[in-house]
Amino acid sequence: MTAMQNSRLSRRTLLRGAGVGLGLPWLEAMVPSFATAATKSSPNPVRMAVLYMPNGVNTSMWTPEGEGRGFKLSPTLAPLEDLKSEIIVASNLWNKGADTGDGHYVKESSILTCTTISKTLGVDLNMHGISMDQLAAQRVGDRTPLPSIELGIEPEATGVDGNVGYTRVYGCHIAWSSPTTPLAREINPRSVYERLFRASGPQESSAKQDTLLLDRVLGQAKKLRSQLGTSDRVRIDEYLGIVRSLESRMERASNVTKSAWKSRASIDSAAKPTDAPKDHTEHVHLMLDMIALAFQSDTTRIGTFMFGNAVSGQNFRFLEGVTNTHHEVSHHSKDPEKLKQYHLINRWHIEQYAYLLRKLKEMKEGETSVLDSSMVLFASALSDGNSHNPHKLPLVLAGRGGGRIATGQHIAYAEDTAAANLYVSMLDAFGTPVERFADSTGPLPGVLA
Amino acid sequence: MAFIQISSLRLAAAVFIGASSGNAQSLKPAYSFDEAQVFLKTYCRTCHQGKSPAAGFNLARIATTDSLRDHGQNWNSVLNRVRNGEMPPKGTPAPLSEQREVFAAWVHEALRTEACADGISPGPAPVRRLNRTEYSATVRDLLNVHLDTGRMLPADGAGGEGFDNAAETLFLSPIHAEKYLDAAKMALEYAAKDPRSRAKFMIASPGPGVSPEQAARKILSEFLPRAFRRPVDESDLQVYLALFDSAQKSKQPFDDSILFALKAVLISPQFLFRAETPNPAQQPRLLDDYALASRLSYFLWGSTPDGLLLALAEAGKLQDPEVLKGQVARMLRNTKSFDFVQSFTEQWLGTRALGQSIRPDAKLFPAYSADEELQGDVRYQPVLFFREIVANDLSLLNLLDSNFTITTKKLQKLYGLNIKPATSAPKRIDLPPDSHRGGLLGMSAILAVSSHPQRTSPVLRGKWILDAILGTPPPPPPPNVPTLEEPTGAAPRTVRELLTQHRANPACASCHSRIDPLGFALENYDALGRWRTEESGKPVDSKGELPDGTKFDGPDQLKTVLLEKKGLFIRNLTNKMLGYALGRGLTLKDSCVVDNIVAEVERNNYSAHTLIDSVVMSMPFRYQTGTSAPVPRSPSKVSAQPVPKKVGDL
Repeated sequence: MTAMQNSRLSRRTLLRGAGVGLGLPWLEAMVPSFATAATKSSPNPVRMAVLYMPNGVNTSMWTPEGEGRGFKLSPTLAPLEDLKSEIIVASNLWNKGADTGDGHYVKESSILTCTTISKTLGVDLNMHGISMDQLAAQRVGDRTPLPSIELGIEPEATGVDGNVGYTRVYGCHIAWSSPTTPLAREINPRSVYERLFRASGPQESSAKQDTLLLDRVLGQAKKLRSQLGTSDRVRIDEYLGIVRSLESRMERASNVTKSAWKSRASIDSAAKPTDAPKDHTEHVHLMLDMIALAFQSDTTRIGTFMFGNAVSGQNFRFLEGVTNTHHEVSHHSKDPEKLKQYHLINRWHIEQYAYLLRKLKEMKEGETSVLDSSMVLFASALSDGNSHNPHKLPLVLAGRGGGRIATGQHIAYAEDTAAANLYVSMLDAFGTPVERFADSTGPLPGVLA
Repeated sequence: MAFIQISSLRLAAAVFIGASSGNAQSLKPAYSFDEAQVFLKTYCRTCHQGKSPAAGFNLARIATTDSLRDHGQNWNSVLNRVRNGEMPPKGTPAPLSEQREVFAAWVHEALRTEACADGISPGPAPVRRLNRTEYSATVRDLLNVHLDTGRMLPADGAGGEGFDNAAETLFLSPIHAEKYLDAAKMALEYAAKDPRSRAKFMIASPGPGVSPEQAARKILSEFLPRAFRRPVDESDLQVYLALFDSAQKSKQPFDDSILFALKAVLISPQFLFRAETPNPAQQPRLLDDYALASRLSYFLWGSTPDGLLLALAEAGKLQDPEVLKGQVARMLRNTKSFDFVQSFTEQWLGTRALGQSIRPDAKLFPAYSADEELQGDVRYQPVLFFREIVANDLSLLNLLDSNFTITTKKLQKLYGLNIKPATSAPKRIDLPPDSHRGGLLGMSAILAVSSHPQRTSPVLRGKWILDAILGTPPPPPPPNVPTLEEPTGAAPRTVRELLTQHRANPACASCHSRIDPLGFALENYDALGRWRTEESGKPVDSKGELPDGTKFDGPDQLKTVLLEKKGLFIRNLTNKMLGYALGRGLTLKDSCVVDNIVAEVERNNYSAHTLIDSVVMSMPFRYQTGTSAPVPRSPSKVSAQPVPKKVGDL
């Protein structure tokens, strides 16, 4: 049986759905169709990660000098010097959907959906689209034990922002599996480690029993469903949806013949990271280690990481020369001292990005490295944080995506080119091509090799 | 139109403290329907008229007073878009921000009046999962295990009135399924090993005359109704007995087999979700007793109903107002009510973030940063203070100012106090008149969460008071207006000087003239809430003046001013309490209920118990809306079939 024979949805249907995001029935119908449509060209799987930095950048220190291959890194991007041949700096892209509304939430939550979110304290929360990482995860996530991982540093923000009228839920999530479903993030490195370990390791003997349990839960839930009104049923169905997908994941994993997946690097149960990192930098390193480990072992191929929540007030006084918190310094009012500190904070983030890239580069798989098979996007949803500007977004893409990405360049596009075009190119390289994503007008020229 | 959601606009947003001269507590802006029409004609008509009006919206739809009733949803979107500055669009003549506010305040009040004219209604009660703290407490009470199983679950965001029990923001991610399975396993394995815990749920075992099936049936018959918070029937029981049987057939010991079935209970949606049987009628009806027991226990305990609540539900007595009030009093006396007090207080005041996303700078406050006990004392002070008020049914106005507080030895040291009792356990103390430590505003936790880690911010503190205390958060700054920053350059100036300059800009002044003065009055407290009389070698200037001319100097006088605004404060606190109790954002309809509760609380000298009782006795809490039709908008429909009245309907 070929992949397409049991397809219950045409490719056209699928493409129309891309970036719009449909509910679970769509996913269920789609997953089997594409489950084996892997790219055959590279022996190593392609991975994709997005590292998100809140609060924008000091724009005067961000943009590289010169274009094409002969570009010179900017002061903020300087920590990437040894990785220059592994990156593309894409300038002048914007997020049109975010060019509205007050403050941060509307811009930052939509960095990967490229949509305009609904303004709400909670009821009617809606992104009006799904994030590009989840679009990929929904198409090929079942090839690995975990479809994707969502990591962060700051706990879920509490309360709602009565000032601008948004629930802070928006500011805590960039990965949206449906227009109304933000994916919960993990912020404890040890807990991520244990999850990766269990997902990739041999199935515990209880797994078969657990599958039975989940199956019964699904059966029993029918009765509850029948007693509820339509809108309440949706919530129960969401639960049944995640139970069903856990069940099928466990079934696949326990059925060796059915499972094409093999761990590419074993995870050592003794090498657990601490669950109480001593400071911010260590915390970030440990979380980035988890992405590297997940990619190396092939436990998942998709990950998103948030350095902080939107409007993050992370205290960066641990950096030499910084006396302020992150959000505070991003509202620099053109004060030269504040701008300098803003740059220092931005550069620190780039250093962490470089840390992950080097780590992936050191992970060899055959002739190449995990980095060679990856796409790691560094993104902020604002350019100048002082004016909450979604034009000229700070975006760097690293890794060759299994040879599909033409790294080693700075490409300056026409002003206000859709960032969604970059995602179209990335999704193509990832093996989950779409014709359109949100406001995209096509792939981004020059990105694909 | 079903329920108009009060999105960014708070109920009392009509009135900003000191926004204009006159009585700031009046809820009647001097504005009329005709003036609103003039506003619309001036700024909106160019696009929203004719055969193809912009966005398909023609102003004619809202041109008559009936439209407030018939097209409330249109009015509501006009209100939001104008207030948020989204309309009129860029490049067209726009009203001043004051004009926007007056217009928005009038629309809001008009819609509210219209909504209340229908009488009150219960509002939505969507199905919701237990949040992580409710999950922990529920597992704890079901199995009698003292284990924070919810810690394994992802943290929940907040919605509605700002609480993480709001149905609308209790999302599910794939990771929840894994974690629920893990948590159930962990809790049951732990419980099975603890004799105290086993006694709670392993109430039978096979032996002479008792077959394994009989023992399993006995255990499950007792456990299932507690786990599902309502009676179960034979078919429910069979599902779990079948799981027990299948484990037995694969030669599992009795214990493992029953734990296997119980694990299924703990991951079933009936356990993880609170769902109420829908009301098939069009008219609201009293909730069934079991649903009420759950609402009550998750409100006041953050946990599952206990045996007595379930017994009262079974006897059909819980809806009896006297019984219900008795239960509220009993539940508040129970130590489990601490979960409610903590969840409510920390989220209402924003102090949950202390020690997480908000941390006083370690270099500037080394003693605090190195002392976990002190950090705990600081964080728990507002919680314990509120508990003191609730437990002893004190006046809620103590939250604004009080002649007592709760301290520990370490807190007293931080505050420069030396009052008996000074113990390491928190104790109530009487405050001397000049202590500056009465009420919430005298507490480190509050003063720290409204500061930057390294310095105080009159703007953040002023905003905190407007938002958390008065329920009148200022609107967001207009786009592209730089925020004020502290002096960092070569010519250091005080924050006050910079703010004064900032307010010279009219775009900033309209809000900052009512934000900043409130914060200035708290400048005697540093970023950790310690008292200071000097800052950078200069005497602290804690004077503030509101736009209406109200002047004050220092926290004590500020509290006097806030006490004069107690109407706003009580309304805000009532909104928060009702939103927390219902676990959802409030609607315009609910604001009519809030009016009644506020009046009741005022009549009873601001008694804390009156607030909680009134919330419990209110229609949204005790009733269920009809399912088959939206809430009737026309008054005639309501009066045709009046809702059954019981004592204490609010």
